[in-house]
Amino acid sequence: MLNVTRVRKTFASVTAVDDVSLNVRRGEILGLLGPNGAGKTTIIRMILNIIPCDAGTISFDGREFSEDTRDIIGYLPEERGLYRKSKVLNTILYFARLKGIEADDAKRRGYKWLERFDLLTSFERRIDELSKGNQQKVQFIISVLHDPQLVILDEPFSGLDPVNQVVLKDTLMELKQQGKAIILSTHQMDQAEKLCDRICLIDRGKVVLDGSISGVRNRYGRNTLHIEFSGDASFIPGLPWVKTAHLYENSAEIELNDHEGVSTILRELAGRLEVTKFETSFPSLNAIFLNLVSGAPGTNAGKEGAG
Amino acid sequence: MRKALTVARWEYLERIKSKAFIISLFLMPVIMVTTAVLPTLLASRPDTESKVIAVIDQSGEFADKISHALADRFVLPNGQPNYILRPIPDDPSGEIAGARRLADSLVISGEIEGYVILPKSMMTDTTVEYRSENIGNFKITERLTGVIREVITERRLRERGFDPQVVKELTSPIELKTIKLSKTGQEEEAGFAQVFFTAYVFMMMMFFLVMTSGQILVRSILEEKSNRVIEVLLSSCRPRDLMTGKILGLSGLALTQMGFWVAIGLVVSVKLSITLVPLGTAILLGGYFVLGYLLYASIFVAAGAPVSSEQEAQQINSYLVLILVIPIVVAFVAVQNPNSTLIRILSFIPVLTASMMVLRIPIQMPSVLEIILTMAVLAVSGIGGIWLAGKVFRTTMLLYGKRPSLRELVSLVRSRER
Repeated sequence: MLNVTRVRKTFASVTAVDDVSLNVRRGEILGLLGPNGAGKTTIIRMILNIIPCDAGTISFDGREFSEDTRDIIGYLPEERGLYRKSKVLNTILYFARLKGIEADDAKRRGYKWLERFDLLTSFERRIDELSKGNQQKVQFIISVLHDPQLVILDEPFSGLDPVNQVVLKDTLMELKQQGKAIILSTHQMDQAEKLCDRICLIDRGKVVLDGSISGVRNRYGRNTLHIEFSGDASFIPGLPWVKTAHLYENSAEIELNDHEGVSTILRELAGRLEVTKFETSFPSLNAIFLNLVSGAPGTNAGKEGAG
Repeated sequence: MRKALTVARWEYLERIKSKAFIISLFLMPVIMVTTAVLPTLLASRPDTESKVIAVIDQSGEFADKISHALADRFVLPNGQPNYILRPIPDDPSGEIAGARRLADSLVISGEIEGYVILPKSMMTDTTVEYRSENIGNFKITERLTGVIREVITERRLRERGFDPQVVKELTSPIELKTIKLSKTGQEEEAGFAQVFFTAYVFMMMMFFLVMTSGQILVRSILEEKSNRVIEVLLSSCRPRDLMTGKILGLSGLALTQMGFWVAIGLVVSVKLSITLVPLGTAILLGGYFVLGYLLYASIFVAAGAPVSSEQEAQQINSYLVLILVIPIVVAFVAVQNPNSTLIRILSFIPVLTASMMVLRIPIQMPSVLEIILTMAVLAVSGIGGIWLAGKVFRTTMLLYGKRPSLRELVSLVRSRER
């Protein structure tokens, strides 16, 4: 559906996006991952043709961007907001008409979506009378009402309560079933891990990792140890066979240096902690993410929102 | 274009319901009435009780005559004389210091409105002093001057041997009736105030139209930027469609506003049975309104698109008000001499053209050549303005936080279109 080939974007002296290629097929969710300021938003804006790219090509089903392309894309921006003083249904209808949907049709679809998101009773209310979460649902409706072929969602889950997160997740899965191509931009790795078919990890404007979730994890091998325990685990990072360790309150994800005997490790840990779970497996996406982009705090490359 | 119309429709329908618009709709006529009609009403309102004016008559012979003339000429509605002249005896020594002190104290205590000092050499000396707490009262000073001049003139003529009756005939006061002539040779009775008022109303209307829609435009851009709706909009339509739609929607608002005011104006003028302007003039004015509006709209778009905070919006608005206020300031000069070189030159400065012409036309129709040239200037700069505004709009709508410097703006505008 979407093919982004070797695009580049430079703002003043900063290269925000550098030689990025990615593609999304129909019926697939691509996770566009990366830390804040990695260049995700810039890539999305180039796909949407809001800003031009300096080099590279972006094509939709093999064709270049045209005016008709706008009508087959749905977009949910990261920072949300709508016309505060306008009515819910009116706002939805406005954006639907902008996407070329006839008024009657738009109204029919609008009611359907409002019902689905439990907002039917609010259709006549002003946007600023809705809760933040409900405003976000309205905005999601706006991004999918015109039945787009390509849906681009920037952090769609942030700000939603668990119940609505499930509703949204189910909706995304349904859209995927219908054969839409979906780009999910997020830095919530667990979400990406559960939802995405493939991921594309961006850091400082470059693709540092891409492929299917399982492929990516396989590439990192079975060298990760997940443990659950009670006790003081602060000694773990100092152990010789530990490459990196991510410690949480009662659990840890440890990347092993090389194949030290698993039993040796277990013995050593069990001697100092009350171990309740011990498992070697693929690394989580989160750990991969942290490893790949760590050492890059405070990066300013392609500051999001600046362009 | 279809998308531009969608935007226009939305902007129109959403703004027409907004408080700002509704307030401006009613505020403008109210302000017009209060600024233009009220002072005239207040000034021409007759006094309700007699005013006492003292006189120190060093010449010793004019006080009575002036007193009579005032009493004859100005009478209150209730039949009482409007002005009572109260003589203050001159010091026999010829020094007026004493009498003046007394009169001063009477003024301060509020017993008298003011006092006149008639000098000894009234026949040759042309300066008469009027002393009062309130010397801004044009009505009194004007009337006093008139009466004193009359009395003195009459006396001077008599000294030269003219018959009193003849003198009276010769010096009978003149009333100036002003008739406004137009090119076609029609004549109509119109006072200065009415002409001025008409011209001023049109200019103020223009000012208010531009101000309201300008504010609305800048605010709507600001809102779309701060809530990032702009990204969704720009992913749905071309920047040009968005801008065109906004300008169209706002023009619709302006038309609504104007229609409303014109309706009010018509009702008022029919009620008061005054003709404001002939139809031809009205069409010409309409032309300047539309073209001028186009130019101002482009300025607002170009100035408003880079705005990303409330303070900036206010700053921009105050600059733009400044441009709009210039015509109001020069209006007084323009009314007195609409064909002066200064006013003619100002009429060719695009941002002033519309206001200047709208001001000039009701007062004295400029030449056809001038009208054609100014229209051309306005049309060219309006279209050029819209084109330029489109470029600025396209490149700066996505700028948040940081305002681009002028140099950045120039380079942005120059950058190739995609």
